[in-house]
Amino acid sequence: MSEKILIDCGTSYTKIYYINPQYYEVIPSREFRQWKRDLRILMATGYNTWGMGDVQVNELIALAEGGLRLIPEGSFTLLDCGARDVKYITMNEGKIIRMDWNTECGAFAGQVIELLTNYFNINPQDLPPDSEKIPVVCGVLGMTKMFDKIAEGVPYPRAFMGFLKGIAWNCYHLVNKPELLYLSGGLCENQAFLSSFPCQVRPLGRYVLLEGLKSFYENPSRLKPLEETVSKKADCDRNHPL
Amino acid sequence: MGVPHWEEIQKYGKRGDTIIDLDDALPDVSVEDSYLPKTYCSILKRVTSNAITLAQAGKLHLVLADVGEGKCDGMRYIASFLRELLPIPVVEVRNTNSTGCGFPICQSQLPLRKKVELIVETVSKPLNTSVKLRKTAPSCGFWGVPPSDFALLELFPPNTHIYGWTRCMENKTPANRELELEVDEGVPTVFFSQNFCQRSALAFHLAKKHQGLFVQMDHHLTKSIRAMVEAFIKFNVT
Repeated sequence: MSEKILIDCGTSYTKIYYINPQYYEVIPSREFRQWKRDLRILMATGYNTWGMGDVQVNELIALAEGGLRLIPEGSFTLLDCGARDVKYITMNEGKIIRMDWNTECGAFAGQVIELLTNYFNINPQDLPPDSEKIPVVCGVLGMTKMFDKIAEGVPYPRAFMGFLKGIAWNCYHLVNKPELLYLSGGLCENQAFLSSFPCQVRPLGRYVLLEGLKSFYENPSRLKPLEETVSKKADCDRNHPL
Repeated sequence: MGVPHWEEIQKYGKRGDTIIDLDDALPDVSVEDSYLPKTYCSILKRVTSNAITLAQAGKLHLVLADVGEGKCDGMRYIASFLRELLPIPVVEVRNTNSTGCGFPICQSQLPLRKKVELIVETVSKPLNTSVKLRKTAPSCGFWGVPPSDFALLELFPPNTHIYGWTRCMENKTPANRELELEVDEGVPTVFFSQNFCQRSALAFHLAKKHQGLFVQMDHHLTKSIRAMVEAFIKFNVT
Protein backbone atom coordinates (compact mmCIF):
# COMPACT_ATOMS: atom_id res chain seq x y z
CA MET A 1 0.00 0.00 0.00
CA SER A 2 1.27 3.48 -0.89
CA GLU A 3 2.70 5.67 1.82
CA LYS A 4 0.80 8.96 1.80
CA ILE A 5 2.96 12.04 2.01
CA LEU A 6 3.02 15.81 1.64
CA ILE A 7 6.19 17.26 0.15
CA ASP A 8 8.03 20.54 -0.16
CA CYS A 9 10.39 19.75 -3.01
CA GLY A 10 13.00 22.50 -2.95
CA THR A 11 16.04 23.05 -5.14
CA SER A 12 18.45 21.36 -2.73
CA TYR A 13 16.29 19.42 -0.30
CA THR A 14 12.92 17.75 -0.25
CA LYS A 15 11.03 18.03 2.99
CA ILE A 16 8.56 15.18 3.49
CA TYR A 17 5.68 14.76 5.91
CA TYR A 18 4.36 11.22 6.29
CA ILE A 19 0.67 11.01 7.07
CA ASN A 20 0.62 7.70 8.93
CA PRO A 21 2.60 7.35 11.07
CA GLN A 22 3.29 11.06 11.30
CA TYR A 23 6.90 12.10 10.94
CA TYR A 24 9.17 14.37 8.91
CA GLU A 25 12.12 13.54 6.74
CA VAL A 26 14.57 15.69 4.79
CA ILE A 27 16.53 14.28 1.88
CA PRO A 28 18.45 15.82 -1.03
CA SER A 29 16.04 16.50 -3.89
CA ARG A 30 18.26 14.67 -6.37
CA GLU A 31 17.83 11.51 -4.29
CA PHE A 32 14.10 11.94 -3.90
CA ARG A 33 13.67 11.87 -7.66
CA GLN A 34 15.35 8.47 -7.78
CA TRP A 35 13.38 6.90 -4.97
CA LYS A 36 11.66 3.67 -5.92
CA ARG A 37 9.39 3.65 -2.88
CA ASP A 38 5.65 3.31 -3.31
CA LEU A 39 4.54 6.82 -2.42
CA ARG A 40 1.30 8.69 -2.91
CA ILE A 41 2.03 12.42 -2.92
CA LEU A 42 -1.19 14.03 -1.79
CA MET A 43 0.02 17.61 -1.92
CA ALA A 44 3.19 19.17 -3.22
CA THR A 45 4.84 22.54 -3.18
CA GLY A 46 8.31 23.77 -4.08
CA TYR A 47 10.48 24.68 -7.03
CA ASN A 48 11.22 21.08 -8.00
CA THR A 49 7.64 19.86 -7.84
CA TRP A 50 7.31 19.56 -11.62
CA GLY A 51 3.75 18.30 -11.70
CA MET A 52 4.14 15.87 -8.81
CA GLY A 53 1.26 15.32 -6.42
CA ASP A 54 -2.51 15.17 -6.59
CA VAL A 55 -2.68 18.83 -5.59
CA GLN A 56 0.02 21.40 -6.21
CA VAL A 57 0.14 24.53 -4.07
CA ASN A 58 2.36 27.42 -5.00
CA GLU A 59 5.13 28.28 -2.57
CA LEU A 60 3.81 31.67 -1.50
CA ILE A 61 0.42 30.25 -0.62
CA ALA A 62 2.03 27.39 1.31
CA LEU A 63 4.31 29.85 3.09
CA ALA A 64 1.45 32.18 4.07
CA GLU A 65 -0.75 29.32 5.24
CA GLY A 66 2.15 27.82 7.21
CA GLY A 67 2.76 31.21 8.82
CA LEU A 68 -0.87 31.53 9.84
CA ARG A 69 -0.67 28.06 11.39
CA LEU A 70 2.57 28.58 13.31
CA ILE A 71 2.56 32.26 14.28
CA PRO A 72 0.15 33.27 17.03
CA GLU A 73 -0.09 36.91 15.93
CA GLY A 74 -2.39 37.56 12.97
CA SER A 75 0.01 40.17 11.63
CA PHE A 76 3.58 39.25 10.79
CA THR A 77 6.36 39.28 8.23
CA LEU A 78 7.66 35.86 7.26
CA LEU A 79 10.72 35.35 5.08
CA ASP A 80 11.64 32.07 3.45
CA CYS A 81 15.30 32.01 2.56
CA GLY A 82 15.68 29.05 0.27
CA ALA A 83 18.51 27.49 -1.65
CA ARG A 84 17.89 29.40 -4.86
CA ASP A 85 15.56 32.25 -3.99
CA VAL A 86 14.09 34.46 -1.32
CA LYS A 87 10.39 35.11 -0.82
CA TYR A 88 8.34 36.77 1.87
CA ILE A 89 4.83 37.70 2.86
CA THR A 90 3.56 40.33 5.25
CA MET A 91 0.14 39.53 6.63
CA ASN A 92 -2.28 41.72 8.48
CA GLU A 93 -5.19 39.95 10.16
CA GLY A 94 -5.08 37.06 7.72
CA LYS A 95 -4.72 39.17 4.58
CA ILE A 96 -1.55 39.64 2.55
CA ILE A 97 -0.54 43.28 2.47
CA ARG A 98 2.92 42.83 0.93
CA MET A 99 4.87 40.05 -0.67
CA ASP A 100 7.64 39.43 -3.09
CA TRP A 101 9.49 36.55 -4.58
CA ASN A 102 12.95 37.62 -5.40
CA THR A 103 14.21 34.99 -7.79
CA GLU A 104 17.08 37.14 -9.02
CA CYS A 105 18.89 39.05 -6.27
CA GLY A 106 18.41 36.28 -3.72
CA ALA A 107 19.48 33.71 -6.26
CA PHE A 108 21.23 30.73 -4.77
CA ALA A 109 21.69 32.51 -1.45
CA GLY A 110 20.97 29.50 0.72
CA GLN A 111 22.80 27.11 -1.54
CA VAL A 112 25.87 29.31 -1.72
CA ILE A 113 25.96 29.64 2.07
CA GLU A 114 25.82 25.87 2.43
CA LEU A 115 28.48 25.35 -0.22
CA LEU A 116 30.79 27.89 1.43
CA THR A 117 30.22 26.45 4.89
CA ASN A 118 31.30 23.06 3.58
CA TYR A 119 34.15 24.52 1.52
CA PHE A 120 35.62 26.35 4.50
CA ASN A 121 34.76 23.39 6.74
CA ILE A 122 33.63 25.87 9.36
CA ASN A 123 31.01 25.84 12.09
CA PRO A 124 28.80 28.93 11.66
CA GLN A 125 28.86 29.40 15.43
CA ASP A 126 32.60 30.04 15.24
CA LEU A 127 32.30 33.01 12.88
CA PRO A 128 33.35 36.39 14.34
CA PRO A 129 30.14 38.39 14.94
CA ASP A 130 31.85 41.79 14.62
CA SER A 131 32.82 41.26 10.97
CA GLU A 132 32.12 44.08 8.57
CA LYS A 133 29.22 43.57 6.16
CA ILE A 134 30.17 42.90 2.53
CA PRO A 135 27.74 44.52 0.07
CA VAL A 136 26.38 41.71 -2.10
CA VAL A 137 23.96 41.70 -5.02
CA CYS A 138 23.16 38.00 -4.82
CA GLY A 139 24.74 34.84 -3.53
CA VAL A 140 26.84 34.26 -6.63
CA LEU A 141 28.12 37.80 -7.13
CA GLY A 142 28.59 38.20 -3.38
CA MET A 143 30.90 35.22 -3.38
CA THR A 144 33.35 37.00 -5.70
CA LYS A 145 33.38 40.00 -3.35
CA MET A 146 34.10 37.71 -0.43
CA PHE A 147 37.02 36.05 -2.19
CA ASP A 148 38.33 39.51 -3.10
CA LYS A 149 38.42 40.26 0.64
CA ILE A 150 40.26 37.01 1.35
CA ALA A 151 42.77 37.88 -1.38
CA GLU A 152 43.28 41.23 0.34
CA GLY A 153 44.27 39.37 3.50
CA VAL A 154 41.01 39.30 5.46
CA PRO A 155 40.78 35.98 7.38
CA TYR A 156 38.25 33.73 5.70
CA PRO A 157 35.95 33.35 8.75
CA ARG A 158 35.69 37.14 8.93
CA ALA A 159 35.08 37.45 5.17
CA PHE A 160 32.44 34.72 5.26
CA MET A 161 30.67 36.38 8.17
CA GLY A 162 30.70 39.65 6.22
CA PHE A 163 29.14 37.81 3.30
CA LEU A 164 26.38 36.43 5.56
CA LYS A 165 25.70 39.93 6.85
CA GLY A 166 25.43 41.18 3.27
CA ILE A 167 22.85 38.51 2.41
CA ALA A 168 20.93 39.24 5.62
CA TRP A 169 21.02 42.98 4.88
CA ASN A 170 19.49 42.37 1.43
CA CYS A 171 16.76 40.20 2.95
CA TYR A 172 16.02 42.77 5.66
CA HIS A 173 15.54 45.52 3.08
CA LEU A 174 13.51 43.28 0.79
CA VAL A 175 10.98 42.71 3.58
CA ASN A 176 10.71 46.44 4.41
CA LYS A 177 12.78 46.48 7.59
CA PRO A 178 10.40 45.03 10.18
CA GLU A 179 11.18 45.11 13.92
CA LEU A 180 10.40 41.40 14.15
CA LEU A 181 11.02 38.95 11.35
CA TYR A 182 9.96 35.32 11.24
CA LEU A 183 12.33 33.15 9.24
CA SER A 184 11.65 29.92 7.37
CA GLY A 185 14.02 27.54 5.66
CA GLY A 186 17.18 25.56 6.30
CA LEU A 187 19.10 28.69 7.28
CA CYS A 188 17.08 28.80 10.49
CA GLU A 189 19.67 26.37 11.82
CA ASN A 190 22.54 28.72 11.00
CA GLN A 191 23.09 30.85 14.13
CA ALA A 192 25.59 33.10 12.38
CA PHE A 193 23.01 33.96 9.71
CA LEU A 194 20.31 34.61 12.31
CA SER A 195 22.58 36.98 14.19
CA SER A 196 23.42 38.85 10.96
CA PHE A 197 20.03 40.56 10.77
CA PRO A 198 19.72 44.08 12.19
CA CYS A 199 16.31 43.16 13.69
CA GLN A 200 14.82 40.54 15.97
CA VAL A 201 14.57 37.18 14.16
CA ARG A 202 12.42 34.22 15.19
CA PRO A 203 13.34 31.05 13.30
CA LEU A 204 10.45 28.73 12.49
CA GLY A 205 12.50 25.95 10.93
CA ARG A 206 12.40 24.31 7.55
CA TYR A 207 8.91 22.82 7.63
CA VAL A 208 6.84 26.01 7.36
CA LEU A 209 5.64 25.28 3.81
CA LEU A 210 4.81 21.71 4.85
CA GLU A 211 2.77 23.13 7.75
CA GLY A 212 0.86 25.10 5.14
CA LEU A 213 0.16 21.90 3.20
CA LYS A 214 -0.91 20.17 6.41
CA SER A 215 -3.38 22.97 7.07
CA PHE A 216 -4.89 22.55 3.60
CA TYR A 217 -4.95 18.78 3.98
CA GLU A 218 -6.78 19.02 7.28
CA ASN A 219 -9.12 21.78 6.06
CA PRO A 220 -9.70 21.33 2.32
CA SER A 221 -12.08 24.30 2.31
CA ARG A 222 -9.03 26.50 3.04
CA LEU A 223 -7.90 25.87 -0.53
CA LYS A 224 -10.79 27.90 -1.88
CA PRO A 225 -10.98 29.97 -4.06
CA LEU A 226 -8.15 28.11 -5.76
CA GLU A 227 -10.32 25.04 -6.15
CA GLU A 228 -10.66 25.61 -9.87
CA THR A 229 -6.93 25.72 -10.39
CA VAL A 230 -5.90 22.65 -8.40
CA SER A 231 -6.30 19.08 -9.42
CA LYS A 232 -9.51 17.38 -8.37
CA LYS A 233 -7.77 14.04 -8.06
CA ALA A 234 -7.20 14.51 -4.35
CA ASP A 235 -10.87 14.77 -3.47
CA CYS A 236 -10.95 11.16 -2.39
CA ASP A 237 -8.16 11.73 0.09
CA ARG A 238 -9.12 15.02 1.59
CA ASN A 239 -11.26 13.41 4.27
CA HIS A 240 -8.53 11.06 5.29
CA PRO A 241 -7.93 11.62 9.03
CA LEU A 242 -4.46 12.64 10.05
CA MET B 1 -0.86 52.88 -32.01
CA GLY B 2 -2.36 53.67 -28.63
CA VAL B 3 -5.93 54.94 -28.55
CA PRO B 4 -6.39 57.66 -31.17
CA HIS B 5 -9.68 59.53 -31.15
CA TRP B 6 -12.60 57.37 -32.32
CA GLU B 7 -13.54 59.83 -35.09
CA GLU B 8 -9.98 59.90 -36.32
CA ILE B 9 -9.89 56.11 -36.66
CA GLN B 10 -13.30 55.95 -38.29
CA LYS B 11 -12.16 58.44 -40.92
CA TYR B 12 -9.90 55.71 -42.29
CA GLY B 13 -12.38 52.93 -41.63
CA LYS B 14 -15.09 54.68 -43.63
CA ARG B 15 -12.91 54.96 -46.70
CA GLY B 16 -12.48 51.19 -46.64
CA ASP B 17 -9.06 50.86 -45.02
CA THR B 18 -8.28 47.85 -42.87
CA ILE B 19 -7.42 48.96 -39.36
CA ILE B 20 -4.63 47.04 -37.62
CA ASP B 21 -3.98 47.56 -33.91
CA LEU B 22 -0.19 47.67 -33.77
CA ASP B 23 -0.21 47.29 -29.98
CA ASP B 24 -1.50 43.73 -30.44
CA ALA B 25 0.57 40.59 -30.93
CA LEU B 26 0.24 39.93 -34.68
CA PRO B 27 0.59 36.51 -36.28
CA ASP B 28 3.84 36.02 -38.20
CA VAL B 29 5.43 39.15 -36.74
CA SER B 30 8.20 38.51 -34.23
CA VAL B 31 9.39 41.15 -31.82
CA GLU B 32 12.90 42.22 -32.80
CA ASP B 33 15.31 43.47 -30.16
CA SER B 34 17.35 45.50 -32.63
CA TYR B 35 15.07 48.56 -32.78
CA LEU B 36 15.04 49.51 -29.11
CA PRO B 37 17.17 48.96 -26.01
CA LYS B 38 16.87 45.56 -24.39
CA THR B 39 15.54 47.05 -21.18
CA TYR B 40 12.46 48.70 -22.60
CA CYS B 41 8.69 48.34 -22.49
CA SER B 42 7.57 45.09 -24.15
CA ILE B 43 4.47 46.71 -25.58
CA LEU B 44 6.44 49.46 -27.28
CA LYS B 45 8.94 46.92 -28.60
CA ARG B 46 6.02 45.04 -30.09
CA VAL B 47 4.46 48.19 -31.57
CA THR B 48 7.76 49.13 -33.17
CA SER B 49 8.43 45.66 -34.59
CA ASN B 50 4.90 45.41 -35.92
CA ALA B 51 5.11 48.76 -37.67
CA ILE B 52 8.52 48.18 -39.23
CA THR B 53 7.85 44.56 -40.26
CA LEU B 54 4.46 45.29 -41.84
CA ALA B 55 5.66 48.47 -43.55
CA GLN B 56 8.70 46.67 -45.01
CA ALA B 57 6.41 43.91 -46.29
CA GLY B 58 4.16 46.47 -47.96
CA LYS B 59 1.26 45.53 -45.71
CA LEU B 60 1.02 48.88 -43.93
CA HIS B 61 0.29 52.16 -45.67
CA LEU B 62 -0.08 54.64 -42.83
CA VAL B 63 0.61 54.74 -39.10
CA LEU B 64 -1.79 56.61 -36.83
CA ALA B 65 0.04 57.10 -33.55
CA ASP B 66 -1.38 58.55 -30.36
CA VAL B 67 1.57 60.43 -28.94
CA GLY B 68 -0.28 62.47 -26.35
CA GLU B 69 -0.79 62.07 -22.62
CA GLY B 70 -3.20 59.27 -23.36
CA LYS B 71 -0.31 57.03 -24.39
CA CYS B 72 3.22 57.69 -23.11
CA ASP B 73 6.47 59.52 -23.70
CA GLY B 74 7.94 56.37 -25.20
CA MET B 75 5.40 56.36 -27.99
CA ARG B 76 6.12 59.99 -28.79
CA TYR B 77 9.87 59.32 -29.10
CA ILE B 78 9.32 56.16 -31.12
CA ALA B 79 6.94 57.94 -33.51
CA SER B 80 9.58 60.57 -34.08
CA PHE B 81 12.09 58.03 -35.40
CA LEU B 82 9.51 55.86 -37.18
CA ARG B 83 8.90 58.86 -39.43
CA GLU B 84 12.52 58.53 -40.52
CA LEU B 85 12.59 54.75 -40.76
CA LEU B 86 9.31 54.00 -42.49
CA PRO B 87 8.55 54.67 -46.15
CA ILE B 88 4.93 55.51 -45.19
CA PRO B 89 3.30 58.47 -43.43
CA VAL B 90 3.33 58.46 -39.63
CA VAL B 91 0.47 60.65 -38.44
CA GLU B 92 0.86 61.84 -34.88
CA VAL B 93 -2.37 62.54 -33.01
CA ARG B 94 -3.25 63.44 -29.44
CA ASN B 95 -6.47 62.05 -28.05
CA THR B 96 -7.66 64.61 -25.52
CA ASN B 97 -11.27 63.47 -25.54
CA SER B 98 -12.84 64.07 -22.16
CA THR B 99 -16.35 62.91 -22.97
CA GLY B 100 -16.65 59.48 -21.47
CA CYS B 101 -18.80 56.89 -23.17
CA GLY B 102 -18.93 54.63 -20.11
CA PHE B 103 -17.22 51.38 -19.20
CA PRO B 104 -19.81 48.60 -19.06
CA ILE B 105 -17.32 45.94 -20.15
CA CYS B 106 -15.08 46.71 -17.15
CA GLN B 107 -17.96 46.13 -14.72
CA SER B 108 -19.55 43.19 -16.50
CA GLN B 109 -19.87 39.50 -15.73
CA LEU B 110 -17.41 38.45 -18.42
CA PRO B 111 -14.11 36.76 -17.49
CA LEU B 112 -11.30 39.28 -17.14
CA ARG B 113 -9.38 38.12 -20.19
CA LYS B 114 -12.49 38.37 -22.38
CA LYS B 115 -13.17 41.86 -21.04
CA VAL B 116 -9.70 43.10 -21.94
CA GLU B 117 -9.85 41.45 -25.37
CA LEU B 118 -13.14 43.23 -26.06
CA ILE B 119 -11.81 46.58 -24.86
CA VAL B 120 -8.79 46.24 -27.14
CA GLU B 121 -10.99 45.22 -30.08
CA THR B 122 -13.35 48.14 -29.57
CA VAL B 123 -10.59 50.73 -29.89
CA SER B 124 -11.30 50.73 -33.62
CA LYS B 125 -14.68 49.05 -34.05
CA PRO B 126 -18.00 49.05 -32.20
CA LEU B 127 -18.88 46.34 -29.71
CA ASN B 128 -20.59 43.41 -31.36
CA THR B 129 -24.29 43.57 -30.53
CA SER B 130 -24.30 39.86 -29.71
CA VAL B 131 -22.22 40.55 -26.59
CA LYS B 132 -24.55 40.83 -23.61
CA LEU B 133 -23.19 42.72 -20.65
CA ARG B 134 -24.58 42.52 -17.13
CA LYS B 135 -23.28 44.82 -14.41
CA THR B 136 -21.78 43.03 -11.40
CA ALA B 137 -20.47 43.91 -7.96
CA PRO B 138 -16.65 43.75 -7.91
CA SER B 139 -15.04 40.76 -6.21
CA CYS B 140 -11.52 41.83 -7.12
CA GLY B 141 -9.85 44.57 -9.17
CA PHE B 142 -7.34 44.69 -12.00
CA TRP B 143 -5.70 48.09 -12.45
CA GLY B 144 -3.40 48.83 -15.33
CA VAL B 145 -2.79 48.54 -19.03
CA PRO B 146 -3.56 45.48 -21.16
CA PRO B 147 -0.60 43.23 -20.32
CA SER B 148 1.85 41.89 -22.89
CA ASP B 149 0.77 38.38 -21.88
CA PHE B 150 -2.98 37.95 -21.40
CA ALA B 151 -2.36 34.71 -19.45
CA LEU B 152 -2.03 37.00 -16.44
CA LEU B 153 -5.71 37.86 -16.74
CA GLU B 154 -6.78 34.23 -16.48
CA LEU B 155 -5.73 34.11 -12.83
CA PHE B 156 -8.48 36.45 -11.67
CA PRO B 157 -11.81 35.36 -10.18
CA PRO B 158 -15.24 36.02 -11.69
CA ASN B 159 -16.53 39.57 -11.42
CA THR B 160 -13.10 41.16 -11.37
CA HIS B 161 -13.55 44.80 -12.33
CA ILE B 162 -11.12 46.74 -14.46
CA TYR B 163 -9.59 50.07 -13.39
CA GLY B 164 -6.76 52.24 -14.58
CA TRP B 165 -5.81 52.91 -18.18
CA THR B 166 -7.68 49.90 -19.56
CA ARG B 167 -10.90 51.41 -18.18
CA CYS B 168 -9.93 54.76 -19.71
CA MET B 169 -9.55 52.90 -23.02
CA GLU B 170 -13.10 51.59 -22.88
CA ASN B 171 -14.32 55.04 -21.83
CA LYS B 172 -12.54 56.47 -24.91
CA THR B 173 -10.75 58.95 -22.64
CA PRO B 174 -7.19 57.59 -22.52
CA ALA B 175 -5.79 60.80 -21.07
CA ASN B 176 -8.27 61.02 -18.19
CA ARG B 177 -5.92 60.84 -15.23
CA GLU B 178 -8.66 61.32 -12.63
CA LEU B 179 -10.43 58.21 -13.89
CA GLU B 180 -7.14 56.36 -14.04
CA LEU B 181 -6.49 57.11 -10.37
CA GLU B 182 -9.91 56.00 -9.18
CA VAL B 183 -10.54 52.56 -7.71
CA ASP B 184 -13.35 51.16 -5.59
CA GLU B 185 -12.38 51.35 -1.92
CA GLY B 186 -12.23 48.00 -0.19
CA VAL B 187 -11.97 45.93 -3.36
CA PRO B 188 -8.77 43.83 -3.30
CA THR B 189 -6.94 45.09 -6.36
CA VAL B 190 -3.87 44.05 -8.30
CA PHE B 191 -2.00 47.10 -9.62
CA PHE B 192 -0.18 46.02 -12.72
CA SER B 193 2.36 47.70 -14.94
CA GLN B 194 4.69 46.59 -17.66
CA ASN B 195 8.36 46.59 -16.75
CA PHE B 196 10.09 49.84 -17.74
CA CYS B 197 6.77 51.71 -17.98
CA GLN B 198 6.46 55.11 -16.31
CA ARG B 199 3.05 54.04 -15.02
CA SER B 200 4.89 51.79 -12.59
CA ALA B 201 5.23 54.78 -10.29
CA LEU B 202 1.47 55.22 -10.19
CA ALA B 203 0.81 51.50 -9.82
CA PHE B 204 3.30 51.27 -6.96
CA HIS B 205 1.84 54.28 -5.18
CA LEU B 206 -1.76 53.16 -5.58
CA ALA B 207 -0.96 49.64 -4.42
CA LYS B 208 0.47 51.03 -1.19
CA LYS B 209 -2.40 53.47 -0.75
CA HIS B 210 -5.10 50.85 -1.23
CA GLN B 211 -3.24 47.85 0.28
CA GLY B 212 -3.29 46.16 -3.09
CA LEU B 213 -0.70 44.06 -4.84
CA PHE B 214 1.85 45.73 -7.11
CA VAL B 215 3.10 43.49 -9.90
CA GLN B 216 5.26 44.14 -12.92
CA MET B 217 5.70 41.90 -15.90
CA ASP B 218 7.95 41.95 -18.94
CA HIS B 219 7.19 39.68 -21.92
CA HIS B 220 5.49 36.73 -20.28
CA LEU B 221 3.78 35.64 -17.13
CA THR B 222 6.41 34.11 -14.86
CA LYS B 223 6.07 31.56 -12.11
CA SER B 224 6.71 34.13 -9.39
CA ILE B 225 4.16 36.63 -10.74
CA ARG B 226 1.60 33.86 -11.07
CA ALA B 227 2.30 32.77 -7.49
CA MET B 228 1.95 36.31 -6.13
CA VAL B 229 -1.34 36.95 -7.88
CA GLU B 230 -2.71 33.57 -6.84
CA ALA B 231 -1.66 34.13 -3.23
CA PHE B 232 -3.16 37.63 -3.16
CA ILE B 233 -6.46 36.32 -4.49
CA LYS B 234 -6.39 33.31 -2.15
CA PHE B 235 -5.99 35.33 1.02
CA ASN B 236 -7.58 38.67 0.16
CA VAL B 237 -10.61 37.89 -1.98
CA THR B 238 -13.50 36.57 0.06
